[in-house]
Amino acid sequence: MDERGANIDIVFRNGLKDFEVLPPPEVWNNIPHIIKKGPRPFIYIRVAALITVLLTLGFLAYILNREIVTGLDNAVTALNSETVPQQTTLSVDKPPFVKVKKSNTVANTTQITFDASSEKPIEPVRITSPETASLQETNSMIMSGELYRREPILPFLNTSGKKSFEITEPGQLKYEEPDQLKYTDISTIKTTERWSVAAMASPTYFSRFNSDNSELSKQLMASQQTVISYTGGVAFTFKINKRFSIQSGLYYSSLGQEVTGINSYAGFQTYFNTKGSPNFQVLTTNGTISTNNADVFIMSDGPADRIQTSYTKDVFDPQKASLLYINNTMHQNFSYLELPVLIRYKLVDKMVDLNLIGGVSYNLLVNNSVYTIVDGGKYPIGQTQGLNTISLSSSLGMGMEYNFSSNLSLNLEPTFRYYLNPFNEALGSKIHPYSFGIFSGLSYKF
Amino acid sequence: MSEIKKIIKGCLSGDRRDQELLYRRHAAKLYAVCLQYSGNDEEARDILQDGFIKIFENLDRYKYEGSFEGWMRRITVNTALEKFRSKHNLYRVDDIDLMPEIDAEPDNQDYAGLEANDLLEIIRELPPKYRVVFNLYAIEGYSHKEISKMVNISEGTSKSNLSRARVILQRRVGSYTGIKKRIANG
Repeated sequence: MDERGANIDIVFRNGLKDFEVLPPPEVWNNIPHIIKKGPRPFIYIRVAALITVLLTLGFLAYILNREIVTGLDNAVTALNSETVPQQTTLSVDKPPFVKVKKSNTVANTTQITFDASSEKPIEPVRITSPETASLQETNSMIMSGELYRREPILPFLNTSGKKSFEITEPGQLKYEEPDQLKYTDISTIKTTERWSVAAMASPTYFSRFNSDNSELSKQLMASQQTVISYTGGVAFTFKINKRFSIQSGLYYSSLGQEVTGINSYAGFQTYFNTKGSPNFQVLTTNGTISTNNADVFIMSDGPADRIQTSYTKDVFDPQKASLLYINNTMHQNFSYLELPVLIRYKLVDKMVDLNLIGGVSYNLLVNNSVYTIVDGGKYPIGQTQGLNTISLSSSLGMGMEYNFSSNLSLNLEPTFRYYLNPFNEALGSKIHPYSFGIFSGLSYKF
Repeated sequence: MSEIKKIIKGCLSGDRRDQELLYRRHAAKLYAVCLQYSGNDEEARDILQDGFIKIFENLDRYKYEGSFEGWMRRITVNTALEKFRSKHNLYRVDDIDLMPEIDAEPDNQDYAGLEANDLLEIIRELPPKYRVVFNLYAIEGYSHKEISKMVNISEGTSKSNLSRARVILQRRVGSYTGIKKRIANG
């Protein structure tokens, strides 16, 4: 009965496949002129979300930067020196005076301050009371026989270029070396090299969070295995200040998954030469795969409702028809061009720099293919339908940068990426992909 | 940009000429689908009209993935199912066991000579609930589980309806073939 039924199915399916009947003219006349409103608001929402994320990152970075600068100011003052006792009259926007070591043994010395650029001596100011100090526009003072000097808040802010000299004996000048600890960073600061270009690549582990607890979703997840993917491209970084940089560039990423339990056979075209609609549709969590290779026949190992087709087992038996068995695994592959907008915050600025990296990426779908493997080569099956052509992902990473020279460095950046929207929203998917990769590459500063 | 993309873009911007162009290109094929699902021409015209309104209204959701014709066909079939549900929700369609048994005939028939018009005529003579299940399963390729959700019947009823539809169709096809042969032989 089933075989006969299947036979009558095929008679009607093939007989009505390309059938056309002209409708009466009044049908068109009754269809009103439909004017769609502009683009859907979610585009604006996405843009607004992107701007909000960037502004938030920028604001947080600003706050963090201020806190660190204040902390460093206190730390530098406390390192090797005693500060002048609290004086309410001292101007708060000036760095505090610190007592210079080794000068306290000299009872009566004459202090001369030189301007390094002009090499002209600047007359020292002898101060007898702290109140007087607040009125002087100078970087050094002597009080109660002690030499005090105004230290820069941060080394790179010391733009005055003034050096201190002290006469310890008649005719002998003693040069006060700047405190090494306080000035360590000066030699490493290169404010002129603001741009850098880097070539980066990473193997990527791709997976997804699933909040859909339906039975079908669980079955589909169980039959899908993620595969190691890769990402690579060129990044450009612009240094905003010592700590902050903004990074963009262009990356190509390829990711995907294996779908198991789907048997593929070749040679189906001999039996059914169909046009137009796909012969088979396979449900996956990333979307529905539609075949566009008329020669492939697909049959499920597991639940039959994963595959939607007219050519069910009771209609066509691939073994009886002696079709060529290929494989029971499909590979679902997506390729994206990524445009990242990332903020880099330098946590440690040494020989090996440490950066905190965060931001978003726009991902443009450039390739979508489904294939299986036969004799080491790819056998095309079709495409995944309904994929978002543009998706948005967020990134968070920690970058290590080893400086070979002042211009060349090696980068290593473990990065976690979370896709803010699923690959396929048409299915109402509750599955959000994420990936983890370790980017490595060389960067050149200029 | 391909021609169909240009037409879709024109439709999206509200160009009436592009909307008419899209209609003229695809109406004949979709009207045939409407006829398959409906018992009379008036109902088929309503389905086609409502289907095209939905197509124009939802055109921005088409992502250029897969066949555009297939996308329009799915909308048309869904429109037909809405009509079917609104008409047939007054009684339970899964009271099928009360129907008399139909004996199947041996399938040694020669289907040659049957044209699409004949097949359409035969399929439209089916009772609505059989016609819908047969169309969804045999023509569109949906599973019984999917049909049960689409038509709001149990999977068992879907299978049973399909089985009975097939038997009726085999009989009618047999009659048509016989009549045609007799006409051909004079």
